Amino acid sequence: MDGDRYEPVVLTDIPSLGGLYARAAAGAAGGLLPRALTDRLPGRAPGRRRGTGGAPGDLPAVAHVVEAVVVDAAGHEAFCRTVGAPLHEGAGGTEAFSGYLHALAFPVAMSVLTRPDFPLPVLGMVHLANEVEHRGSVAVGEDLTVTAHAERLRPHRSGAQVDVVARLTRGDGEPVWTGRSTYLAKGVRVPGTVEESPREEFVPPAPTGHWRLTGGTGRDYAAVSGDWNPIHLSGPTARALGMKQAIAHGMYSASRALAEVGVPPGVPFRWTVEFAAPVPLPGTVAVAITDDGRGAGWRGSRFAGWDPRRRRPHFTGTVVRQEG
Amino acid sequence: MSESTPEQTVEPTAEHTTPSGAGRTGVARRAVVVGANRIPFARAHGAYANAGNQDMLTAALDGLAARYGLAGERIGEVAAGAVLKHPKDFNLTRESVLGSVLDPRTPAFDVQQACATGMEAVSTLVNKIRLGQIDSAVAGGVDSASDAPVVVSERLRRTLLELNRARSTPQKLKALAGLRPGDLKPVAPGTGEPRTGLSMGEHQALTTARWGISREAQDEFAAASHQHLAAAYERGFFDDLVTPFRGLSRDNNLRPDSSVEKLAGLKPVFGKSLDAEATMTAGNSTPLTDGASTVLLASEDWAAEHSLPVLADVVDVEAAAVDFVHGDEGLLMAGAYAVPRLLARQGLALEDFDFVEIHEAFAATVLSTLAAWEDEQFGRERLGLDGAFGAVDRSRLNVTGSSLAAGHPFAATGGRIVGTLAKLLRERADETGRPARGLISVCAAGGLGVTAVLEAR
Repeated sequence: MDGDRYEPVVLTDIPSLGGLYARAAAGAAGGLLPRALTDRLPGRAPGRRRGTGGAPGDLPAVAHVVEAVVVDAAGHEAFCRTVGAPLHEGAGGTEAFSGYLHALAFPVAMSVLTRPDFPLPVLGMVHLANEVEHRGSVAVGEDLTVTAHAERLRPHRSGAQVDVVARLTRGDGEPVWTGRSTYLAKGVRVPGTVEESPREEFVPPAPTGHWRLTGGTGRDYAAVSGDWNPIHLSGPTARALGMKQAIAHGMYSASRALAEVGVPPGVPFRWTVEFAAPVPLPGTVAVAITDDGRGAGWRGSRFAGWDPRRRRPHFTGTVVRQEG
Repeated sequence: MSESTPEQTVEPTAEHTTPSGAGRTGVARRAVVVGANRIPFARAHGAYANAGNQDMLTAALDGLAARYGLAGERIGEVAAGAVLKHPKDFNLTRESVLGSVLDPRTPAFDVQQACATGMEAVSTLVNKIRLGQIDSAVAGGVDSASDAPVVVSERLRRTLLELNRARSTPQKLKALAGLRPGDLKPVAPGTGEPRTGLSMGEHQALTTARWGISREAQDEFAAASHQHLAAAYERGFFDDLVTPFRGLSRDNNLRPDSSVEKLAGLKPVFGKSLDAEATMTAGNSTPLTDGASTVLLASEDWAAEHSLPVLADVVDVEAAAVDFVHGDEGLLMAGAYAVPRLLARQGLALEDFDFVEIHEAFAATVLSTLAAWEDEQFGRERLGLDGAFGAVDRSRLNVTGSSLAAGHPFAATGGRIVGTLAKLLRERADETGRPARGLISVCAAGGLGVTAVLEAR
């Protein structure tokens, strides 16, 4: 990734996700909002409007930047409690959990997706995958710069997919965390050829755990991540957006799986997750974690979550130790 | 720190009443099982639905005191515990002692090691006796699945604590604002492992599948447990081990007419979403049970001074734990590791035992343990042996039945097994005129297991 190709747009504060969802909804409403209002949103480039049914335009060549974002102790602790991540005390203080850092960067990533010149409809986009390089230990209380841009708009067999790359850097520019989230906009066509990765048939391994998720799981995760997407909150709000029922946040599942893998403190790592069928709420997820080494000798783990009755995968992923 | 080696221990002065036999030679003295007493075990929400842990433990202590003339006696120490414990019962054992006929100056402490609580209580007290710190002790355990603690939801708990800390009305309102109607529902304790969310039965189902234990083998084993326990009651074996309580004189989970045919009709309840056939039913798994047990332990001299019999010595104890969290080993398999270590230390093999008691958490737990011990690969790769650890002669295994028939009030099971085995060993030694040796293995939540060797001389 080459951040220099993107014109930095410095935002003065972390955007409110509630506002971003409202804006996304307004965009989805097909221009029902007065032009005067939509024109005031940042990133509205003159002469570039979202296509109406045709091929979408290019991705905006900007990177949204928010400086001096503090890893908040109370917010971090609440997040960790919700996904079951232990708090590790390191030399520099409490080590920030990688899943929380995703949540910290997420509003900035969303602000790129909800720009009026962003060519894909945000509401209804499906989170396909996530990759994170967790390079060094970030301590709770540190100031970080969050930078996010979108790249690699490309076709998918059922629409268009795009990557949103979020980076966390220290004041000296040292990158400490990079996350790449891949989203699918269904039914949108973009030029190019579909990269077909052969899908292996999912064979459930022996489970190592079960998650019994209550109907409140989405609200609990929304409260600690700030991601109040209505499809996660309740049956009625999910159905209002065309879902059959509420579904768990992908990053709830990914964060909880990462927490259960139990990366030893202070170890840099790379983790990936691919999402398959959404996790319905309430519901039970069968989970398997397969380790290469445990404890201090940990080298990596694979994890999978699936529907124990229908034996369909919900997510699969890896966590691999990086030599730092 | 003293520089003295065990051979150079200071001679006790006349005023210093060191228990006899200990401390002089540096060699630990024997600790013996004098006897045991329990109340009949009752299926949860039945005969003991309104009895609490303290009621049951006190009854078991009083029964023991009545049998061995301990009323008003100051015992060296009493250790017992419960797995499902109310916060108000922080001193459950001491409170039970105070409510019993024992001298109120008898010290006591609580132990908690899941289903191995009773075994650990025995182990700790035996060590104190062997060290000469005490001369007599009562180990025990109790559990009530009927009178289980019910707690509030985590969010309500945090809200109430926040409310307590809040000083102003706005702060109090803010604390209450996060509460939702669903948070007011009480939460009953689950049997799930905290780190996996799997119930014990689901964990065992994985191990059952791993060792390919068949439904028929499990049902056969369960039926035998009921038949053996019934036969033992019939011959009066439990007459001096059990004291009636609340209208029960026998364990009410016992089905003397249990048979493989009847058990075969039950539907599987665990392992239903696995590849392997689901084989574990309510019939070959232990039910939730209420009950309490106690064991009287002593130095040989104390027993002699009180003109009390000696059933058996507690020779040695070994605990083990397995890493079950990501499936490296089955949750209830720690005994399969502890026993080989214990026997290696004692220079014994499985065939050296007259009786073997393996706690029947599930029929498949016992059968998986036996299968692992008979497996060459397990012996080499997991136990570091040259081959298989060995086979248990089934005619010596759980000969008076075990938890499948008697039930399993978690913390009370260790005391039930120690009392039963000690008496079996005494009978055998008296019959043959030769020492008799017995082995115990009790698995527990958290991947724990505690094992012991007993010997009657």
